[in-house]
Amino acid sequence: MRRLGFVLLAAVLLTLPALAGRVALILDVGGRGDLSFNDMGFKGTEEACADFGWEMVEIQSATSADYLPNIRNAARTGKFDLIICVGFLLADALNEVAPEFPNQKFAIIDAVVSHPNVLSIVFEEQEGSALVGALAGMLAAEYGYPYVGVVLGIEIPVLYHFEGGYRFGIDWGLKKYEEVTGKKADVGLLWVYTGTFSDIAKGKAAAEAQLEQGAVAVYNVAGPLGIGILEAVTEKLAKEGREAGPPFMIGVDANQDWMGDGNKVVASMMKRVDVGCYTAIKMVHEGTFQGGVLSLGLKNKGVGISRYQDLLDFIEFGIKAGAITEADRERIVENWQAMRAAIPGWIWEAVDELEAKILSGEIVVPKPETREEMLAVRAQYPLTR
Amino acid sequence: MRRIGVGLRPLLESVLAGLIGLGVGAIIMRAWGYNPWPAYMALFKESFGSGYGLANALANATPLILTALTFAVGARAGLFIIGAEGMMYMGAMAAVAASFFRLPSGWHALFALLGAALAGMVWGLIPAVLKAYRGVHEVISTIMFNWLAHFFAFYLVANVLVDPIRAEKTISVAKTSRLPILFRGTDLSFGIAVAVGLAFLFYLLLWHTVAGYEIRAAGANPHAARYGGVSPRRTVLLVFILGGMAAGLAGAVETMGRPPTYAVYSGLTNIAGFGFDGIGVAMIGRIHPLGIIPAAIFYGGLQAGARLMQMEAKVPFEMVRAVQGAIVLALALPELARLFRVFVRRARFQEKKT
Repeated sequence: MRRLGFVLLAAVLLTLPALAGRVALILDVGGRGDLSFNDMGFKGTEEACADFGWEMVEIQSATSADYLPNIRNAARTGKFDLIICVGFLLADALNEVAPEFPNQKFAIIDAVVSHPNVLSIVFEEQEGSALVGALAGMLAAEYGYPYVGVVLGIEIPVLYHFEGGYRFGIDWGLKKYEEVTGKKADVGLLWVYTGTFSDIAKGKAAAEAQLEQGAVAVYNVAGPLGIGILEAVTEKLAKEGREAGPPFMIGVDANQDWMGDGNKVVASMMKRVDVGCYTAIKMVHEGTFQGGVLSLGLKNKGVGISRYQDLLDFIEFGIKAGAITEADRERIVENWQAMRAAIPGWIWEAVDELEAKILSGEIVVPKPETREEMLAVRAQYPLTR
Repeated sequence: MRRIGVGLRPLLESVLAGLIGLGVGAIIMRAWGYNPWPAYMALFKESFGSGYGLANALANATPLILTALTFAVGARAGLFIIGAEGMMYMGAMAAVAASFFRLPSGWHALFALLGAALAGMVWGLIPAVLKAYRGVHEVISTIMFNWLAHFFAFYLVANVLVDPIRAEKTISVAKTSRLPILFRGTDLSFGIAVAVGLAFLFYLLLWHTVAGYEIRAAGANPHAARYGGVSPRRTVLLVFILGGMAAGLAGAVETMGRPPTYAVYSGLTNIAGFGFDGIGVAMIGRIHPLGIIPAAIFYGGLQAGARLMQMEAKVPFEMVRAVQGAIVLALALPELARLFRVFVRRARFQEKKT
């Protein structure tokens, strides 16, 4: 009888998934459902939890006054092996809480918080932004559009990386166009900081204005506002009686190429927040976690321009988020392939060339960190017509 | 109870309404497959069951007491002031701007508080003058002034008060101008004393001075009040001055007393909404300055408890907000119904007169 009991107990224990750890995922006011930054953080955390047998608890913030108590509360419970703060806006609060709980492990995305128990995960956004900038610049010149556009969120230093890289890339692409075709390119940049990461209507209004002035593509550097930008692109195309771009949107953070039926987002600057979250959990799980800065760039696949395999991966992401269904998959893939094939091959080759040169260190993309440095980059690449 | 201007009945009504709200919230959670019992346990355990949670509830309550006073003093005079939000922005801007000056610790904070009260007051005076001398309805004007303040503050945050090395926020309030934290490791500041103190002042003013009597008389029956020699103009101006001061201080206590940044973020994300939440709090507190204090603490507790509802009971954030909404709405209903009755009675009276 006792033996049977042991067997039963062993069987129960074996079938129960062993809980290896718990992670708290703290989000800023942007919250879930953006199909980009925050959802990517969620995706990476969820994947790591599945792989390592961890449990995830998600905590959203109603206002920025919640950041501090949210982080502090999670740390106070002492139940979490790792607390991940998703986003730059949480940095001040984490900077305050981290020294109060020296034995609690923290990770933060997009900011450097210098405490021994904090892993700061930052991205080389300027590298990826240079690639999509080059693409946009060459598209505008090739199709005879006067402008390329970009809609940005709140003016935080991280966004300077995007803007700086984009400006550099456009300039590089225009020079490339002149070199390849021997014609002069007259293309300017339309850019605006909307001051929000949540007001989708503002993203739409800003994109509409840029498209009206003749932007060939609008780069989304404002997370959820991309939903509004895509609406603006879709409506502009509908007005012209077409389905596929140009004009296009350029996606951000996640691969957003699958959105808008696969033929309106020409490419995405992928910033793999999911890779960052996954890596942090993996480090804690394997006992290799230590405080410091982890920089993810082109070379370690932390950023990059979207390609075919990424499209397939992120269609699954879209299906899971409920934005599309299985039935849409084939059509989206076909549309996407047709959209990309319609763009001259030399443009894609040029993008690859720029990527190779950044990887080899031959080209160093400017990375403005402060307002002053940003102003200097703007002066160097004014991109006015 | 009569002496402080409330009867027992409103209290019982509120308790009953609160229970109904909790019931509706439970039904909502149950309907979507979440267990309400552990969720409510987590909510109240965090907000009122631990020292840290209580401190957080009080910290959340601090600006709400002040913006609720703005609405309450207006409602007592028969005015529907929606403008606390904009006045609060102005107060926050002034509180930050005060850090451009150098003053000794303590005096600096006092200077900033006075500046914020003044800024809120001045902003409130414009719709007051429009109402008193041009008859512009205060609901319309204060809503419009909220937007003016919103974009003006937006501009100030991005261009004038901006932190030169961190463009997403204003400069942080100077150390000499910060309200001291009452308990280490919490975010409860001396601001709570400012808020509670002002609530008592408002109570004394409304129920123990002639000016206060006139305000209440104007609210209870404007025609009788005018017949009795109460100047409607003076009442309107006084009410907006008091309300503007309170709302201006709300912006100040939040920026000067809330760690870690002590600044206003671009997009006003850390101060937006207190003015509107204050209307709900005022309703729950039966538009009585002393009723507002527990109402704001309860409201602040709901916000504090939201994180444990997410963390322990795994109720998603959106659901937490829906449940909170149900509770707050139920609690606000009795006062809303009373205000509505007064409104209808007055409209009928007007009809008869014409």
